[in-house]
Amino acid sequence: MRNHLLGAAVVATLLGATAAEAAGERVSVLTPYLSAVTTAEMAEAFKAEAAKHDWSVDVVDTGGDMGALASRVEDVTAAKVAAIVLISIDPAQIQDQVSKAKAAGIPVVTIDGAKNDAVAVNVTSDNYVLGATMTKFLFEQIGNKGKIVRLFHSAHPGVRQREIALDDALKANPDVTEVGGHYVQVPGQIEDARAAVDAILLANPAPDAINAVWAAWDEPAIGADLALKAAGRTGVVVAGIDGNPQAIELIKACSSIVGTVRQGFGQMATIAADELAKILSGGTPEKNELYAPVEVITRESLGVTCP
Amino acid sequence: MTLLLQRYGTLGAFLLLVAGFSIAVPQAFASTANLLNLLQQVTVLAIVATAATFVMVVGEFDLSVGFVASLAAVLAFVLFGAGAPVWLAILAGLAAGAAAGLANGLLVARLGVPSFVATLAVGTIVSGFAYWASGGSSLFSGVPPSFTALGRASVYGVPALTLWMIAVLGLAALLLARSRFGRRLHAIGDNAAAARLVGLPVARDRTLAFVLAGLVAALAGLLLAARLGSVQHTMGEALLLPAYAAVFIGTTASPRGIPNIPGTFLGVAIAGVIANGLTIIGVEPFVQRMVTGAIIIAAVLIRRAGRTA
Repeated sequence: MRNHLLGAAVVATLLGATAAEAAGERVSVLTPYLSAVTTAEMAEAFKAEAAKHDWSVDVVDTGGDMGALASRVEDVTAAKVAAIVLISIDPAQIQDQVSKAKAAGIPVVTIDGAKNDAVAVNVTSDNYVLGATMTKFLFEQIGNKGKIVRLFHSAHPGVRQREIALDDALKANPDVTEVGGHYVQVPGQIEDARAAVDAILLANPAPDAINAVWAAWDEPAIGADLALKAAGRTGVVVAGIDGNPQAIELIKACSSIVGTVRQGFGQMATIAADELAKILSGGTPEKNELYAPVEVITRESLGVTCP
Repeated sequence: MTLLLQRYGTLGAFLLLVAGFSIAVPQAFASTANLLNLLQQVTVLAIVATAATFVMVVGEFDLSVGFVASLAAVLAFVLFGAGAPVWLAILAGLAAGAAAGLANGLLVARLGVPSFVATLAVGTIVSGFAYWASGGSSLFSGVPPSFTALGRASVYGVPALTLWMIAVLGLAALLLARSRFGRRLHAIGDNAAAARLVGLPVARDRTLAFVLAGLVAALAGLLLAARLGSVQHTMGEALLLPAYAAVFIGTTASPRGIPNIPGTFLGVAIAGVIANGLTIIGVEPFVQRMVTGAIIIAAVLIRRAGRTA
């Protein structure tokens, strides 16, 4: 009896899902980082753009697992989808699968990824510029002198570029030194960053031991802010990148987060959808990499005056 | 009927899944190309789950298998970066896995540290090494094609990964079911005190089970790296829970409810088919997780229904 019930449930699920898939060309969106707010924002923005093109979109998240991501790319290739969109992943990390998709005639577009021979177009921000812009802003906040903590995640190709920008800025500003750093785990990035900063604060108890926290993106910045609040540490400024809505609220609320650099995630998704539409109608992208504009968001730009 | 359900309920659930997906998406799911995909996709998990099975047979857990897989892969790629030949990189990866397994075994079998604690601690140390060695970055340049061929080539149309899986699982199954060593491991898992009383080398064999687990987990990491052509220091961690889920499902396929290699493979195959089939259909990720969990529970309940009816 239970066997029959299980069978009925499985078949109903499968048939229901198949029926839902019927409308329009199918585009599969895949990412290992959907738990990151900005990746989710890109996926949602792409889905909204896809609706305008009457595409049917399914989103696959592998929770940070690259092996599973490779497998899921193979699956959607086997399903002969009209196109594959990869978000926040350097396609070189799953090169074989991306090349096979291309060989199967399925165009691959990356958003916030990296240029690759098997990819039709990568739409991104210039991550080095993002990192350099945020670093310059953060260093100015501490008078280009002091001690900083770095929260990073080098496995992400874009984040790695931001870290390189920080390395360059540290070389150019010898009065700014790094007293600690932490490789942020994804998913669970806010809590992981908070725990790391908790520990770094305990290890550096003097009031002037840390002047700033450099967060490679906004979620670790939020974690750092939580740790600073819990420790009652004032005088430490935090900056991130992405323009995450929660981070912007915290800037408005006069928290330790003093700035973020907003990436045009929605614009990236729009550009990617437009380029994909061009590809699906037989055209070719304008270039193999396109950039969306960036914007620095600070208390000043938000019109906030803090005590 | 009860006996059939008890013995073949899990296999029945697997066949039902295959039939369901074959009906729902016949052209994509029930194709030769997808079968080959599936076989490649389940290989790494099947090998890590085999590592977990070795220690579960002796009644212990090894929570370091995912970390060990990561370390072996990272070490190999770091050595490639330094210009090392493929054989040396592979040997170093396997040696690191065996060393981690030996550390686990000595802590558990000789010093009496609970395996949950010992393997978590060793796994954490191992992950630190992998992080340090990789610098936290993804590594994907300078990889010799002869290495990636281990995970990408095919022999007479059969993917190399599948051959690895057949070899590792076949040897492990023979070792556990047919050899004296395997029978001793089962005896230790059934009742360690009785095994000790009859003079079996309990501490030595437990240690060896952990060494085997480390070695096999390292091989899984190397094969995953060969398949992807890239490594991250966290790449193996996601394998831990699915591996143990597969071993647990596998125990439901055994008449005595003990860990066994064919059952573990069945558990891996169920997980692989669910992920593959639902992705082909285009089911949203949150639904995929719910369905996966529900099917695992259903498989176990079917088994229990067979036992208690």
